[in-house]
Amino acid sequence: MPPKAAKGEYIETDTGNKISRRSQIHGTQHIILGGKSIIQAEAVIRGDLFRTSSSPSTPDSKSDPKAAAGGAGNSIAITIGRYSYISRSAILRPPSRLHRGVHSYFPLKIGDHVFVGERSVVEAASVGNHVHIGKDAVIGSMAILKEFAYVLDGAVVPAGMVVPSWCVVGGAPARIVGEVGEGYGVEGAEGGMARERYRMVR
Amino acid sequence: MSRPFPYAYISCPCAETSVADPARKRRSRESPQKASPVKPRPQPQIDDEEDEQTFDPRAPRSNFSLYPPEQLLYCEDCHQIKCPRCITEEILCWYCPNCLFETPSSMVRSEGNRCARNCFNCPACTAPLSVTTLENRGGDQSGPWVLSCGYCMWTTLDIGIKFDKPTNIRAQLAKMTTEPSTPATRTRQMSRTFGDLKSPLSMYSSIDDQLPGSRPDNEDAPLDTSIPRTRDARFAALKAFYKDQIAATTTSGVDPGDFGSAFSSPNTLHRIMSIYTATRMTALYGSGNKKARSRPPMMREAVSANEGLAIPRPDSESTIIKRMASDDCGWDGLASIEQRSFQSPDARFVEDLLPLPSLLRTKRSKRCKSCKHILVKPEFKPSSTRYRIRLIALSYIPLATMRPLILPPTTSTSLPSLSTAAAPNLDALTPQRPIQLLLTLKNHMFDPVRITLATPSVTPGRVASKVTILCPQFDIGANSDVWDEALQSATAPDRSSRTSPYEKVAEAGKVWDKGRNWTTVVLEVVPGSLPGIKLGKAAIDSDDEAGDDSDENEVALDWSGKSQDHGQQLQPDEDVLEIPVFVRMEWNSDNQIESEEGIGSGKGLGGDSVKRELAYWKVLGVGRIES
Repeated sequence: MPPKAAKGEYIETDTGNKISRRSQIHGTQHIILGGKSIIQAEAVIRGDLFRTSSSPSTPDSKSDPKAAAGGAGNSIAITIGRYSYISRSAILRPPSRLHRGVHSYFPLKIGDHVFVGERSVVEAASVGNHVHIGKDAVIGSMAILKEFAYVLDGAVVPAGMVVPSWCVVGGAPARIVGEVGEGYGVEGAEGGMARERYRMVR
Repeated sequence: MSRPFPYAYISCPCAETSVADPARKRRSRESPQKASPVKPRPQPQIDDEEDEQTFDPRAPRSNFSLYPPEQLLYCEDCHQIKCPRCITEEILCWYCPNCLFETPSSMVRSEGNRCARNCFNCPACTAPLSVTTLENRGGDQSGPWVLSCGYCMWTTLDIGIKFDKPTNIRAQLAKMTTEPSTPATRTRQMSRTFGDLKSPLSMYSSIDDQLPGSRPDNEDAPLDTSIPRTRDARFAALKAFYKDQIAATTTSGVDPGDFGSAFSSPNTLHRIMSIYTATRMTALYGSGNKKARSRPPMMREAVSANEGLAIPRPDSESTIIKRMASDDCGWDGLASIEQRSFQSPDARFVEDLLPLPSLLRTKRSKRCKSCKHILVKPEFKPSSTRYRIRLIALSYIPLATMRPLILPPTTSTSLPSLSTAAAPNLDALTPQRPIQLLLTLKNHMFDPVRITLATPSVTPGRVASKVTILCPQFDIGANSDVWDEALQSATAPDRSSRTSPYEKVAEAGKVWDKGRNWTTVVLEVVPGSLPGIKLGKAAIDSDDEAGDDSDENEVALDWSGKSQDHGQQLQPDEDVLEIPVFVRMEWNSDNQIESEEGIGSGKGLGGDSVKRELAYWKVLGVGRIES
């Protein structure tokens, strides 16, 4: 363990988020933290990759209601819910897609009680509540992890994959290899340790 | 998935009861689950004194009875823990894991258990395929569509398939892979042959006609569109042919649509068997004609290509081998065994691989095997994560969590003061150096529970670690109102003791800490020394056996586990320190419906309170002993 800084490792926000001083957060105005979430050292959160209002190369994008709405102020790149935990050296990056010839970013939504393991890269479109992402995992662009999904260590979830609820995925490319038990996610048991984790961090 | 240390597994008692199915059925029929006493205590059937045997987490059988607590259910009728082996499952619905749409049960079989929409998996790497357009510049997305894999960059263009529409891909694909037959000519040909064969008198002559006749047909057959060429089309042709054969040869009015019922009658079976005996040979060569005519019409096999018979070209093997050997195929051009296992049997090259429609998944409800009560019933909708019924063991048995107790640097004199400040590394425990663990049991029931923990003083197996539970008997409060804890914790000192354990010293006979519905006790563990390894400088070997072993050899680890020579080799995972703990819980439950049922161990206490007990073995995985 490195020697503790005099100010303490974490900055605590009004809503109880604990953010390491050594994390790299870009574009903070495009990031929403739900409260009581933890961002550890060396985690990278790319809030600067938000959807631009209307690119000059797409003059017809005004006809598209979604693109127009994206420009109208809710340029949120990353949303993180409560009690989520972003481990050391994890990277959160909004997903992107070549949409109508334009490379554009889409928001990354992360739910409550989510755990992102060390050195994992998350580019999912949405990560549901109580999702566990192991260490060294890669979640491809526009993937969807439903609630209580469990990504094993080192898994590579391919772009666009949908992981249903309660499913365990692993391997490269990730496949569904099993299901978690019914008690998964109960407070204090496996999958329900988010509050305990929050308490341990100081 | 193995868990990081520390972990706690629970042994389901079902592993020790005999699993002979007839016996189980009989017992449950005689006296459904009430008379059969609760047997939470593992009762090996070997003999009676074995009852007191301690659970060995390393026994080969233990693999099958240990479960992480969240996988266990609890049957309120049997008052027993239920593991995945003690339950039966019923499918509630089928859904595609990719699009999360439900497939009605009537469609599941006809769709081959696969998604009928646009969900496909890559045949090369199994990642999901996405529908993409080839024309990606225009504002309107049009033009040919392909399925492409975002993981390995495989597209259907590799096998020369494009789609006209981005929807209903599976139907389009099915149309492409089954041959473009002209239905008119095909049915005409079929009807001719079947019509001929329907008459019993003309049967043999028609075969004789066809056998030489079909040969020249086959020579120019590849151009004939009516010949089914793909496997699916051939199968369909074969199926239609044999359906007609059964219809034609069955005198009784059996539904020809169902092969199973048609073949199940002994009469038909006899007829089929007789095809393969001498009768057919004689019939074919003409000598047995008279004899056979007196019998009911016989089934024959498919003999022509439009009936589904595929006669491989004589040089087909050598062409395949030539193609394999050619430079443009190479290793990359061959389909791997994993890829071929999901494809048609004659797919050998990557060009033969077809996209695989996603396999459906199911939502299942679970029932107790012995009393048939529903234990788990999820909501019907595939995307819902809620349960209508969920009787999980976690809400009945106390949840155990462990963490190492960080000793204050001054109190322990025996330990070197360097390492005490930091938490012990559970992945590399030093042999013979005692560690203390805090074992917290959290009660999820609404009744206070009295817990008795028992553990062998020395763990079973060759790596003998000494274990002491400093306070083996204690109470846990009821899981009453959450607000109580919230209000208490603001003032109660137990919070502070949790945050700074430095003021306390573990004492025998006293609980370490206590909260509203949890109690923490201290577990003292002295990890044993590993056999077959020269012990380190600090290790004081108290065990004679291990001492002898350590003299014999140095670090000759045999991970194969084949050698019978004990004391020499360290078996895989033998260095994992696992402690079997027998947990016995007693509580007075409010009387519900089943007070007078006389549940084995529970006996009635007055009118409205029943004394209950539940006992089970639990295995605490503390860490790995450093070698």
